[in-house]
Amino acid sequence: MTDAALGLTMLGLIVVVIMLGFPTAFTLMGLGIMFGYVAFYDPSAPFFDNRVFDLMVERTYGAMTNDTLLSIPLFVLMGYVMERGALVDKMFYSIQLAFRRVPASLAVATLIVCTFWGIASGLVGAVVVLMGVIAMRPMLKAGYDVRLASGVITAGGTLGILIPPSVMIIVYAAVAGQSVVKLYASAMLPGFFLAFLYLLYIIGWALVDRKVAPPLPESELHTPVPGWVTGLAQRYSRNLLAALALAVARPVRAAGIEFDGAAIRYRTLLKNLLVALAPLLLTTATLAGIWWYVTIHRPASLAEANPPPRIEQPAPRVAVPPPAADEAPKELGSGAAEAETAPEPEQEQGLVGSMQPDAGAAAPADAGPPREFFTSFWVSVALCAALLAYYYWMLGAEQFVILKLLTGSVMPLGILTVLVLAVILFGITTATESAGVGAAGAFILALHAKTLNWSRVKEAMFLTAKTTAMVCWLFVGSALFSAVFALLGGQQLVEKWVLSLNLSPVQFMIVSQAIIFVLGWPLEWTEIIVIFVPIFLPLLKHFDIDPVLWGTLVFVNLQAAFLSPPVAMSAFYLKGVSPPHVTLNQIFSGMMPYMLIVILCMVIMYLWPGMTLWLPVYLYGG
Amino acid sequence: MQHLIFLADQLSTFVGKAFAWLIGLLMVVVCVEVLKRYILNMPTAWVFDATSMLYGAAFMMCGAYALAQGAHVRGDFLYGSMRPRMQASLDLALYLLFFVPGILALVFAGWDYAADSWRIGERSNITAEGPPVYHFKTLIPIAGALVFTQGLAEILRCIVCLKIGRWPARLKDAEETDVVEQQLAASTHVDEDAKRQAIEGIEAIDEAAHHRIGKDRP
Repeated sequence: MTDAALGLTMLGLIVVVIMLGFPTAFTLMGLGIMFGYVAFYDPSAPFFDNRVFDLMVERTYGAMTNDTLLSIPLFVLMGYVMERGALVDKMFYSIQLAFRRVPASLAVATLIVCTFWGIASGLVGAVVVLMGVIAMRPMLKAGYDVRLASGVITAGGTLGILIPPSVMIIVYAAVAGQSVVKLYASAMLPGFFLAFLYLLYIIGWALVDRKVAPPLPESELHTPVPGWVTGLAQRYSRNLLAALALAVARPVRAAGIEFDGAAIRYRTLLKNLLVALAPLLLTTATLAGIWWYVTIHRPASLAEANPPPRIEQPAPRVAVPPPAADEAPKELGSGAAEAETAPEPEQEQGLVGSMQPDAGAAAPADAGPPREFFTSFWVSVALCAALLAYYYWMLGAEQFVILKLLTGSVMPLGILTVLVLAVILFGITTATESAGVGAAGAFILALHAKTLNWSRVKEAMFLTAKTTAMVCWLFVGSALFSAVFALLGGQQLVEKWVLSLNLSPVQFMIVSQAIIFVLGWPLEWTEIIVIFVPIFLPLLKHFDIDPVLWGTLVFVNLQAAFLSPPVAMSAFYLKGVSPPHVTLNQIFSGMMPYMLIVILCMVIMYLWPGMTLWLPVYLYGG
Repeated sequence: MQHLIFLADQLSTFVGKAFAWLIGLLMVVVCVEVLKRYILNMPTAWVFDATSMLYGAAFMMCGAYALAQGAHVRGDFLYGSMRPRMQASLDLALYLLFFVPGILALVFAGWDYAADSWRIGERSNITAEGPPVYHFKTLIPIAGALVFTQGLAEILRCIVCLKIGRWPARLKDAEETDVVEQQLAASTHVDEDAKRQAIEGIEAIDEAAHHRIGKDRP
């Protein structure tokens, strides 16, 4: 038997043995050591002097010191803590209230919660079960079509493995030798685009066929308004923002209002004013952050496009940042101050008005960001300001209660994840550092929400240890396996064979994705990424395919695989918690369209690689 | 025999849980370093080595723990639909065929590797005057031996299962699905009936989903 034939035997055996259900990490090690022994066999050397032992221990030590895998335990820990810290039921309730006027509001809320939850954790099963209990019954009670209800839960539940920070992406980065950060940036837009396509589908279906998602009865659209809020509204103004601001300014008139059985305190008023201002503060902070990043911190692509000015004219380049730096904090302060009194016109004017000098100052300095940035930036500022103004104009008592619910349930989790992702993506810290800070932040949030106790901390820690051990031992096994596979020439044989087929890049792309799609039925993502993806990776260069784009397509592809009947696990999870009249076939037929949407998304991603690659190229250069 | 199995389980679980805390320590070290590097502007040279040692030690030493808890990923598509005796005989054969040689090789190779490192007093070469790494490398044979012991216990488990026709129990431990109970217990907008049903049924649901068994299948 030639070496290459041995290599192929090895590949065949691994598929068979995985199917037999033996723990994959040890299968890989066993096969690797046996075939490696044969490959290195030297009749003159003593039995234990085979070099396969060195290979094995080197590969093990390599995994132990792999600085890409290092961030896995931290991200996993962050996910487990968030999962225990944030209350998904409150999130669903408040989001559902906020979207009550949208068609198929319960389904939309479910999708949003799933997306959020997916950011936080990468577990499919737990999300589907939880949403099955929390959202499925309300949807069915409201008369939603079973297919609509089950489809949105299963599709939303699998989003978590795609949307960063996801462990799958880290493992792919380690396998492919790509940067985690770049892969995060490239998975970002497709992930949210996919969620957006789901959303379009739900709303579109509900608009076309009113029967699948009847509007909720009027009684369910309202949330009880506490007495002190109505009291405030009566005494000051029907607009709660104005009411709170006036109450803070002149607290005497609020004296009679009861809050929790006692007279309302000044601190409570202040706190609630802050809650009311939260949307404004968040928008301002985001915009200021973008401004700071583009004009002061500057992404790599801009630095490349505009090489730093020659030594004789450093002045203009230095001159740009200071006014902008002053700008951001001032905006924050003045915006808030204006909003307190009379929100809409002044604020908008103030923002638009300040546009002139900045654009003017930036233009002469050729090192600054392109003009288009300023145009689009100020257009979005104006848009946000208009939206906020409208929102605050309409802020009645009930709206305020919903806002309070949202800030209590969704905002902390949202801010933490956005921050963690932003510092990674903007290249301010490494993925590991952000993951560490993110995990600590998750602990703080959970402590603040009083949902964490000692036993849950222990639980999260132990679960993290088990998951990390599972992923990393698998990695150890596959590192040995793939080294031996390449050593035996199996890799070369596969390459030669594929090249002899004379595929065009498109054909290769389709074939490789189709194989991964089929593998996704019986296997979990860990096995696919760690064992089968490395076989394709060396071929990408022959076909001139970007491994980042290909990898992102694989991530999206696995979504489709995990939604394909009749093997999709999430359908069985949902079936387990649904009322008995919901059949598996109904769940499957609900999932089918989402699978097609994922495939559509892949086609769009292929035809328009810009969607995937724009963000990484913009942030880190080509 | 049951006694021996539990003994091995307890050993692996104890060591695994002890080393799991290294992940917490890793988090703290990373946070402190972020503070020092980005805010106080005084980075620490040995932090890179320290974090990789914490992570490497944690995952290696938790390998046996994961095995004792059945947390290593397996292709359970066909496996799940087999009878326990069939599963046990397959597992037994594959443990002897793949697991035993693979892990023994790891222990053996790791032993030499660590011994070499001790002999030369090896230090990390990531920074000048890096910290010593021989302790860290010693973990490879130790972790291997621990996984091997647990593997022997798993082999005994297979034998017990072949005898009595069902799998002997594992130690109770934190499960991923525990979160369902915690979330639902704290929820206020879900009706009690559905809540109770889901909390009680979660284990069966998890198992059915892994084996892809739907109740209304013929």
